[in-house]
Parts: sequence; C-alpha cells; structure tokens
Amino acid sequence: MELEHTIRQTLDQVAIIANCQLIDNINDDTVLLQSGLDSLGFAMLVAQLEEDLGIDPFSQMQIAVYPRTFAEFVGVYRQTLANGN
Amino acid sequence: MNLLQRLQQANYNSTAISAGADISYPQLVAQAVQLRQQYPALQHHAIALSYTDLSTFTCDLLAFDGWCRALYLLPDNNLELPEQVIRWPENTSTAPITATATATPIAETTLWYLATSGTTGTPKWIAHSFTSLSRAAKASVQSAALHWALCYQPSRFAGLQVLLQSLLSGAVITDCNSGDAQQRFNLMQQYSVNAVSATPSLWRQLLMTAQINALPLQQITLGGEITDQPLLDTLAALFPTARLLHIYASTEAGVGFAVADKRAGFPASWLNQCHSNLLLKIDAKQHLWLKPPQLPDTRLASAVDSDGYLDSGDLVTIVQDRVVFLGRASGVINVGGNKVHPEQVEQVLLQYPAVRQAKVYAKTSSVIGQLVIADIVVDTGTDSKTLQAQLVQHCQQQLERYQLPARFNIVSSLATNATGKLSRKADVKEPHE
Repeated sequence: MELEHTIRQTLDQVAIIANCQLIDNINDDTVLLQSGLDSLGFAMLVAQLEEDLGIDPFSQMQIAVYPRTFAEFVGVYRQTLANGN
Repeated sequence: MNLLQRLQQANYNSTAISAGADISYPQLVAQAVQLRQQYPALQHHAIALSYTDLSTFTCDLLAFDGWCRALYLLPDNNLELPEQVIRWPENTSTAPITATATATPIAETTLWYLATSGTTGTPKWIAHSFTSLSRAAKASVQSAALHWALCYQPSRFAGLQVLLQSLLSGAVITDCNSGDAQQRFNLMQQYSVNAVSATPSLWRQLLMTAQINALPLQQITLGGEITDQPLLDTLAALFPTARLLHIYASTEAGVGFAVADKRAGFPASWLNQCHSNLLLKIDAKQHLWLKPPQLPDTRLASAVDSDGYLDSGDLVTIVQDRVVFLGRASGVINVGGNKVHPEQVEQVLLQYPAVRQAKVYAKTSSVIGQLVIADIVVDTGTDSKTLQAQLVQHCQQQLERYQLPARFNIVSSLATNATGKLSRKADVKEPHE
C-alpha cells in the first residue's frame, strides 16, 4: 500500500506540473490513457518516480505488455522493486 | 515529372484516401485538373497551403505542384511568409491575382518550402524540389497493398514523406493525426490500417492501449526522435513478420535514410560508403555530417564544408559496429518530437524575480524521449516550496506544454565556461547496447 500511496502522491504533483486535469477517483481499473494524464504527464510521472524510488522500469523494458490500468502500472513498479533492480 | 504527372502515369485505380468518404486516385487526379482550370491565374505564382483535411490538402498539392512557382506548406504555428505569397484558399477570392499571360501553359518546376525549427530556434523556410522529396518513396506490389495511418502533420517533412510514399506507391492513407493515442488507435482499427509511421513516443503510447496487436501491421516505421533498442525489440516481438524501419531524417538537408535491421542506430560500415545516395561522416566533435546528392536550398551553401558535407547538428558515437545517436549538439531538447530550445525556457525562468540564474537541459525519458529539466539559482531566503508552485504557474502562462520543465532543481551556483557563458555540455547518457 505504501508504494501505491507514493505513486498516487507523485501522480497528483505531476498533474499540477504537467497541467493535466486528472479524472476523479482513480482506482485500480482506471485506464491510464483515460486518467487525464497525457504522454507528457506520463513521462513526467515516470521521471519523478525514478527520483523518488530510484527505479525506472520502462528504461530497459522489453516486455510486450505495457501497463494499461493504474493497478498494472503499480504492479510494474512492485515487480521491479521485488526483483531488486 | 511533377506529382500530378507521376500519378497520371501510374494510373492507379484504387482508393487513395480513406476518410468519411473515400476518394480514389482517378478522383484525386480529376479534382486537381479541375482546380487548375478553375484558377488559371494562380499559375507561376507562389502560394501557401494550410492544412484542413487530407483530401483537400492532397488535391491542392497535385494541382499546384508543377503549376505554381512555389508551394509553402504552412505549419500549425504561424510562420511569416515572404511578400507576394498568396494564401490559398482564403486570399484568392479577395486579393487581385494577375495572370502571367501565357497562351500555352509552361511546365513549372515548383519549389516546395517546408518549415524547420532552425538551429537558432527561429523557424525558417527551406526550399526542396519534388524530386528530392520523393526520392525515398518506393513503389512495389507490397507497398501498394498498404493502408497507411498518417500520424504526423502532412505540412512537415515527416508527414509529407508518409503522404508521398502512400500516393506514389498507390497505397491508401487515412489521417490519424489528432486526438490521444486511444483515439488514434480507434481510427487505425476502424480503417484497418496495416502501416503506421510514428514517433517512438507515440509508439509507446499505442503500446499502452494494450490493443495494438489487433492491428494487422505489415509496416512499422519510427522517426522524428531517437529510436531505442527496447522499443524496437518490443515491436519486433509483437509483429514478427512486419517490416520494421527506423528513419533518420534531416529536414535541413532534405534527406534521410532508413534502418531495417531492427537494431538502434545504424551500421558503422555506412560511414565508408555511399548509402541511400548519401555520404556520411563523423567529425572530431562527434557531429554527424551528411552529403546529399544535391543541396535542397542554395542558402545552405555556406554551411557546407569543402568536401560538400553539411553538419546535421546531431551528436553520435560509435558503439561496437553501430553509430548511435546521442542528441542535438545545440542542446535542443526533443520532447516527443517537439523541439525545445533551452535558451527560450531559460529566458522565461529569468523573468521571474527570485530567479538569478537558470540552466535548462534534457533528461532522457523512457516514455517520451527527453524531458526538460531546469537548474536554478535563487535569491537567498526564498521559500523553495512556494517558489516551485509559483514557477510552475509562471511557466504554464508563458510556455507551450511540451516546453514545461518536469523538475526545478535549486542549486547554489551554475558552471560557466571560459567566456563566462553557461556551460552547455550535452547531458546525454551513453546508450546501452
């Protein structure tokens, strides 16, 4: 839950910096592309999380499945942290 | 041969543009011929086209290439036009156009003017010929079966390349250059697109739809930004049978080349031989130089060295057997295909009273290529949290969204070089191979 909390906090900060209007009540099933965060906002989110968490799962990502929902996005970070990258 | 003559000779019978209503090649040709007959006075004049929809734009190109003296393709931002250029279609009804009286129409070699962002940040017009613009377009049975998604502005070099490739090969094209990635994907699916040319940033977004594998892609093209290996690997795994190309193009030199081996960068062996009609070399400062068969614009002559090479302004390095791209030597930041000039953002930051010094540079982004980062020196006693919030607001009022810094680092001092200027050494990561 702590990881999800960090990601949510960063998401809110980034939305302000990137000038994105997030939708209300982002939950596990929220589709990232429909969250109000556009590609620029998403890029800023990943960059800020790299600062906060020390990892960027997307930098060397060679997986065929990109995260589609908020839960999948959190999952990618959880998995990368668990793998000790 | 001009564009209209090329299509008349090819005599394609299929659909050219698929939109709400499809338009076939014979229809396009007929409409273009009609347009010339309707506006004979436009012959030998210079006209500027702005983009409304793909069918109109294409028809205008067909009608006016080989008919007008010059074609200026207006980008979405306003760029000043030279005098005597007629804005089509809005000015043609009001401005008096003097017909250059010729009993028999004389074929005109039209100069196509495309806007570049320029090395100084001031956009400028660069002249091209139809011959040079269409050099890369290849026609074959396979390419005629393609249905292209246009994901760039067709008035820019990259978009025009896609449009010309589609037209000259007898393929179909649909404008998918609006909306977010999901909306673009929906259009691609609706029109059964099987060929997509887009920036690496847009490809990553399309992958995030998690539906992209539903497209029967036969042709995948990446361009406009540096293409990285993980993205190539992901696309190659998803579409093992598709032709996967990444393009390097220089709008200024009016040339480019495609890399088809699914590896980032290009083979170092190309440096020693002519490839795609181009000669390539790297100088001591790691700049890539290009020698096109002919210079598109004579005004570039002063930028050419004694051997006829033009500095691309792109920084490269050799890693094993590959030449890989590092970024722009000028420090210009590429945010998802949009060019950001650090100096412009710095000027905006320096307008803010508490900011004493500012240095803007790129940070590599795994999502959108590069992001803008600002290091700032501020007055002592400034509350950093309040300042950050106010700076964000200040920047949002003055800058385009893609120019916005992703982060403000408050630093105690900024390094300057021997001449007292900000040290602007490119902040680029060594690429992973």
